[in-house]
Amino acid sequence: MLQPRILAPLRALERAFAPSIRSSQSLYQPQSLISRTLSANLAIPKTTPTPSLSRTLLPFSQVRYASHASQGTANRHSRDPAGKRLGAKRSGGEYVVPGCIIFKQRGSKWFPGENCAMGRDHTIYATQAGYVRYYLDPERHTERRYIGVVFEKEGTLPVPRNAPSRRKLNMVSVPRLVPVAQQSDMVASIDENGVQVGSVAAVDAESGPQLRPGYMYREANWVIGRAAEKAGVFAESYDRGNRWLAWRKRQARAERAAQMKSLKGKKKAGKKAK
Amino acid sequence: MAHCERASKPLLQCLRKSYARGLPGMQLQVRGFQSTASVPDAQSEPSQPFHKSPDPSLVTSPRLERRLMRQGTTPIGSRRRRAALQSPGSLPFEQLPYQCFQEARKVLLGDRSAKLEEIESMRQKISRLEAQPIEAGGENSRKSRLTAMQLHLEELKVLADINDPLVKRKFEDGLGDMSKPIYRFLADRKWREYRRKILVQRITQMKVIPDVLAHCEPILDTKLYFGKRQVSPGDYVLAKDSTTAPKLDIQMFERGEKLVTIAVIDPDVPNVETDGFDFKMHYFAVNVPISAVATKVDLSQLSTDSQVVLPWAAPVAQKGSPYHRLSLFIMEQKDNQPLDFAAVKAKETERENVLLRTLQARYHLKAIGAHLFRSQWDETTQEVMKEIGYKDAEFELRRKKVEPLPYKRRNPSSFR
Repeated sequence: MLQPRILAPLRALERAFAPSIRSSQSLYQPQSLISRTLSANLAIPKTTPTPSLSRTLLPFSQVRYASHASQGTANRHSRDPAGKRLGAKRSGGEYVVPGCIIFKQRGSKWFPGENCAMGRDHTIYATQAGYVRYYLDPERHTERRYIGVVFEKEGTLPVPRNAPSRRKLNMVSVPRLVPVAQQSDMVASIDENGVQVGSVAAVDAESGPQLRPGYMYREANWVIGRAAEKAGVFAESYDRGNRWLAWRKRQARAERAAQMKSLKGKKKAGKKAK
Repeated sequence: MAHCERASKPLLQCLRKSYARGLPGMQLQVRGFQSTASVPDAQSEPSQPFHKSPDPSLVTSPRLERRLMRQGTTPIGSRRRRAALQSPGSLPFEQLPYQCFQEARKVLLGDRSAKLEEIESMRQKISRLEAQPIEAGGENSRKSRLTAMQLHLEELKVLADINDPLVKRKFEDGLGDMSKPIYRFLADRKWREYRRKILVQRITQMKVIPDVLAHCEPILDTKLYFGKRQVSPGDYVLAKDSTTAPKLDIQMFERGEKLVTIAVIDPDVPNVETDGFDFKMHYFAVNVPISAVATKVDLSQLSTDSQVVLPWAAPVAQKGSPYHRLSLFIMEQKDNQPLDFAAVKAKETERENVLLRTLQARYHLKAIGAHLFRSQWDETTQEVMKEIGYKDAEFELRRKKVEPLPYKRRNPSSFR
């Protein structure tokens, strides 16, 4: 098929030749340049000589009617996956709080600037409450586009390179709590409100198996972990100078390797025999 | 014996020789090669056995090495090299029987003598120019010419010695004399290869540079010690360790002496009222002389009536507060002129909210060296707080709860 795309330059070519053709119209049969060059491939019905060039081109323009197009393309859905909902979630100047997602993207099309950070899928999110700014920072990087958060509504980014960074404490002063020495553990309880997961002090946890998340009556993980200690079983601490032990270990490893190697050889031999 | 061993035997012997003895060969060498006069070594025969006072350049047994290290001296070079040096040999370095070596030495010696001639002629040129009467209006051009010539002279001094293998060895053994330009040059190059890069990275990545000062181009190698422990730039230091002022080892790579101002400033003092951070000056001393040979500066030993403006204040970080960056800056005083100590002392009495930028502008200082350590809440902080009478010792900082955006609220009244 002749694509309309190919037609465009040809048409331009024809336009360039048009005046000369027109002037010589009376002299010879005014056949279109295109139709002449392409007549070998396409069987065009020979039109009667017409003065207008556009009318000679008319048979090449294709029309696809609505009823035809609405039938759709075969396998379109396999080629055209669902959209991933990427793009800006907050525009410039909008108020955001820490953790608020500002931009979702594939790859780092945008980089995190002031008071922003990048997630593991390159999502830009705010680390401070403030107003979103999209900006370029040529002093920092000539190519990169940044997304930042400023504290004031009228604040601007980027800040000059040698200006002290603007920060907020975002903290409150409270009386210091003395840390509880006892170890706590997770337990579950079932009542009319459903399953409640809470923590109990270590003293209770040690008293025996309790109902734990997942409807299990068992001891706490850390109690299980101390079973050996309770039973008085201790692992020997590693001694660098104990060459006798090192030699035995090395020997065992070498033996094991030799065993595996011999097995490997047998397997191969078996295969070959087959 | 393998060929290579046979070939390298004289070289090893020579090394042994030049090291183990009172160095007759080396002295000959020094006369031939080095520009500066050599000082004859004082012949002090050690009467003690080797294991009582091990020589750091010869010790090979791990036990003796450990003992030396405990005393504070590190053994020189590799153990293999030290072992090779132990048994005495016979041949001096410059008489090694390799033709190629001898030819190469000739080339190097020729180059060196050419450089020495150049140095002499350059010195004469400089003195001639200095003796000339100043023409009207030619002051600036003469000054710039003189500076260029001085620079060239310094460069020539380095070039004269840079190919000397003994200079290289001395420098690598850490025995280089910093009063000589060649060793200063080598030390500077070594510092710039790694340590300076680390320092610059730490002070820029931890944002000390825009937060405390706008610019700093370090030209001094600064080491910081709390007690015996060396703190690399940006390390965390326990509150108990930093109750006393640190010791500094400031290595200058230029000739002459400089008067510097030393300031330790913390830009991370939390301020709950203003919801921001304040500055605090932990130490401030002026008129501290440093030079390439006198490198040790103990901040607690500086004179209180002519140098220390604000004595050391122990840094503590409140529990929950973000880490404190205690940045140390060494700043050159203008034209090496001493500041008026009494006036500075009278003016700088406040520790809180002193900006180093202000001081820099006020006293015309220029930052030439920097260091950084961090402090955070640790198990020793509470004691230190009690000692220094910290007022918020019983309080900790918690994150302020962020009010969520309206539509994100779990259970707004409009839902019911």
